Amino acid sequence: MENTKLNILPVPTFGSLGVNFVRRDIEEYETNNKLLDIDNNTLIREDITGSSDYKINVKNNADAIVVQYVKVDGKALVDTQIKAEAGTRLKLVQIFDGSVQTVSRLNATLEDNASLELVLLVLGGNDTVCETVAALDGRCSSFKADIGYTLGSGDNLDINLIADHNGRKTDSQILVNGVLDGNASKTFKGTIDFKNGSAGSKGAEQENVLVLDEKAVNKTVPVILCAEEDVEGSHGATIGRIDDKQAFYMRSRGFDEQKLYELLARARLKQVIGAIGERQTESRIYKALDWGDYDEQE
Amino acid sequence: MNEKTQIQDIDRSLYDFRFDEDEGDFLDNGITPEIISEISDEKNDPDWMREFRQRSLEIYRRTPMVKWGASIEGLDVDNIVTYIRPKTRMNTDWEDVPENIKETFERLGIPQAERESLAGVGAQYDSELVYHNVREEVAQSGVVYTDLESAMHDPKYAEIIKSHFMKLVPPTDHKFAALHGAVWSGGSFVYVPKNVRLDIPLQSYFRLNAKGAGQFEHTLIILEEGSYLHFIEGCSAPKYYEAGLHAGCVELYVGKGASLRYSTIENWSKNMYNLNTKRALVEEGGKIEWVSGSFGSHVSYLYPMSILNGENASAEFTGITFAGEGQDLDTGAKIVHNAPNTSSYMNTKSLSKSGGKSTFRSSVVVNQNAEGSKSSVNCESLMLDSISRSDTVPSIVVKTDKCDVGHEAKIGRISDEAIFYLTSRGLSEEEARALIVRGFADNVSKELPLEYAVEMNNLIGLEMHGSVG
Amino acid sequence: MSDILKITGLSVSAEDKELLHGVDLTIKEGETHVLMGHNGAGKSTLGCTIMGSPEYTVTGGSIVFDGEDITAESADKRAKRGIFLSFQNPIEIPGITLSEFLRNALEQVTGKRLKLWDFKKQLKAAMELIGMDSSYADRDLNVGFSGGEKKKAEILQLLILKPRLAILDETDSGLDVDAVKTVSKGIEEYRKSVGGTLLIITHNAKILEELKVDATHILANGRVAKEGDGNLAVKVLESGFENTLSGVER
Repeated sequence: MENTKLNILPVPTFGSLGVNFVRRDIEEYETNNKLLDIDNNTLIREDITGSSDYKINVKNNADAIVVQYVKVDGKALVDTQIKAEAGTRLKLVQIFDGSVQTVSRLNATLEDNASLELVLLVLGGNDTVCETVAALDGRCSSFKADIGYTLGSGDNLDINLIADHNGRKTDSQILVNGVLDGNASKTFKGTIDFKNGSAGSKGAEQENVLVLDEKAVNKTVPVILCAEEDVEGSHGATIGRIDDKQAFYMRSRGFDEQKLYELLARARLKQVIGAIGERQTESRIYKALDWGDYDEQE
Repeated sequence: MNEKTQIQDIDRSLYDFRFDEDEGDFLDNGITPEIISEISDEKNDPDWMREFRQRSLEIYRRTPMVKWGASIEGLDVDNIVTYIRPKTRMNTDWEDVPENIKETFERLGIPQAERESLAGVGAQYDSELVYHNVREEVAQSGVVYTDLESAMHDPKYAEIIKSHFMKLVPPTDHKFAALHGAVWSGGSFVYVPKNVRLDIPLQSYFRLNAKGAGQFEHTLIILEEGSYLHFIEGCSAPKYYEAGLHAGCVELYVGKGASLRYSTIENWSKNMYNLNTKRALVEEGGKIEWVSGSFGSHVSYLYPMSILNGENASAEFTGITFAGEGQDLDTGAKIVHNAPNTSSYMNTKSLSKSGGKSTFRSSVVVNQNAEGSKSSVNCESLMLDSISRSDTVPSIVVKTDKCDVGHEAKIGRISDEAIFYLTSRGLSEEEARALIVRGFADNVSKELPLEYAVEMNNLIGLEMHGSVG
Repeated sequence: MSDILKITGLSVSAEDKELLHGVDLTIKEGETHVLMGHNGAGKSTLGCTIMGSPEYTVTGGSIVFDGEDITAESADKRAKRGIFLSFQNPIEIPGITLSEFLRNALEQVTGKRLKLWDFKKQLKAAMELIGMDSSYADRDLNVGFSGGEKKKAEILQLLILKPRLAILDETDSGLDVDAVKTVSKGIEEYRKSVGGTLLIITHNAKILEELKVDATHILANGRVAKEGDGNLAVKVLESGFENTLSGVER
């Protein structure tokens, strides 16, 4: 499919900003189909090196972790569909480690009391397009996303994350921490959509972007759509560098300008990596980031 | 005490009255080059303006409809009478204004307001300025406040108008800007010379009358270095059965170190399509402050834009939007940081009730040359029931590293505890809700001159009436 | 002992307003000095300028630390030389835990890598000494800390970073009696284990009780109005600034 529209913002805004959608060629690659039926407390690690199509069904009150570590040499399309049955818990960890061109589409449907925790990390990559739609259909279902990215020169990232609050008393929490260096360019679109009937629901999103180079381009579009009175929604964003007072405080403790931002950048990513809570993967990411010995970190 | 009761009992009809249409000839409904030519003839346009209008019409015809925001399907532009000329010509003396027109204004409180403290009145009745008066002291300070059309013919201003008119909002900007360029009519021209600070606000109060009328007034304000002005634009229009269109244009040039406050309370009748374009260009150390209340209209697209074009320029936007039954109000603001150390601050509130839809839409763009800039956006929405809608669609585009950009938004409802607390102190539920909503709106009301704040509170009272059950 | 800090004719402005007008102040290594004065006299300005705050511009004079002119140096370089400022209002740094911050800061000022385990041990001991709950180590620096906790965290950094010159800017203000005691204990420990030099900005007699004060400087309107030995500080606290400055004693 050539020139396919992806990452479509649920409500279009001013066209000149260039955030309404992206276009990519999605070719029909040889796809690795995988069905994961999860019915117990388990940990599954998947190394993804090419186009893949995952169907993950979580059942039987399972409490599981699935790690998708995506490191692809060429172009790839990664589709993931999750069906979380009532009362199940799934933590999905998606790592995109310096891909050439990756399009990822994640679709999750959550039944009553089901919970999905997504940890999404983008470590560089020329062109990464991630779309995540979590349909909170069931009563008291919840979605938590911890997203981190570190991008340098030549890197591009477009994320479109949508939390559809359909059921009553549903909950979404989205935290995005990112670092942009060189001429990196990034768009994060996060939508919390309170559908009519989602009474008692809550949604919150926050993005913090540390911009380290004047050539970097950051686009942040935090959308809240609301058709229900009894909900609480909030979003926030901070973009740029830390303020002068914070900078002086840190410098008075011995950090020069570069060290100071190195530490901040690392701390922001660590916060997201820490949400993985799985030693082997965390250690692998430390290695990919060239951060030194995992056991010597806080 | 007596007066207070009157305010509380204010009747919606105060804002809905109108007189019979007797304002003269309508032109054909559709827009053709001939119509545009007729407008030019009628207004005795200078050649450059004749060409400008025709070129704008061309652009209008080939420009597609805007693709975001509220639906404007109900609007049939080709059937909107774009130009209605009242029978009276310009008056500088209130006594000469025809009785029925005068009565309309009197019910809107214009002469009183003027008597009280306002510096001048440029009230637009339909498409022409009918009443215009600038107090002598204002004129003596060198401030020019006149209608744009006659200013265009005045050799003193012709050149400055030609070099500024639709330069900030070119007809190519969007479809309705092009339409405006072709058919604009009436509006204000304000020129504040260097270092003149006008302490009393200037006011323009205009309204639509006559069925199917479009309003295309143009406001051009130029502030020279170090000057200050507060301009108040108020609108109120009666009810119609046919859709009406308002596609005005406001261009504000804020010079070095100058400061302009531009306040608007918009209360068009609820069948209007309000597609207004407002833009300010701010030079070094200058400041633009927008205070904006959107209450009326069926559909609104309104995003006043501030271009911070000189070092240390700043913009503030304070707004409230109240969408009731049948309303789809898409409002917000745009800021472009285009010079170092510029700053912007946005604070908006929106309310939705009785099936109304409000959308807060914004964009903050920090360009690469805007290092050291700061921006802070804060928006809050209140849902008053579950048949309404409230969407928040902000965008932030940052192209430099040395900046500090923050954004916060919240959406929620009136808490039951707050209602309970107030009712336990003897307020009815309706009063309690109105009180909370007025408090919610105080970001705007406290920025307005007293008489406008009172009017806005009355509007909220009217909107909240019958909001319980 | 040699001069560790020698300030000569220091004039400082902020936002086009001159706040200090030709201040002279000398401190010998190992001494404890007290800096006093009314609010707005310029005490914090002086403290922050010694640390190298970009908020203030030096318009005249010089600051010499350990024989080297540091007037134009950035704050981090001064920190590496061994200057420390305990902030009157410690800044919140979201995203970085106290422990992470301090470990990295220690690496910066000492220039040495530190084993995580060794650092943790050191940190734990210091926190115990000043009665700070160990859970604070894993909280973001100063974020959501109470006023007292923030001041304790400053003293904790003092103990870990072991600077040669510590400027304490009203570290005792706004604290209750017990907290002041804890802060005093921390300062004592710093004197004992590091033997460092102190410049204490304070309004409070309590914090001076356990310290041997070598000199007192009184600032008024951006100038040194009076100087004396340790007894002067006591005198000011007993008689007030006006009486002390005009020579009237009760």
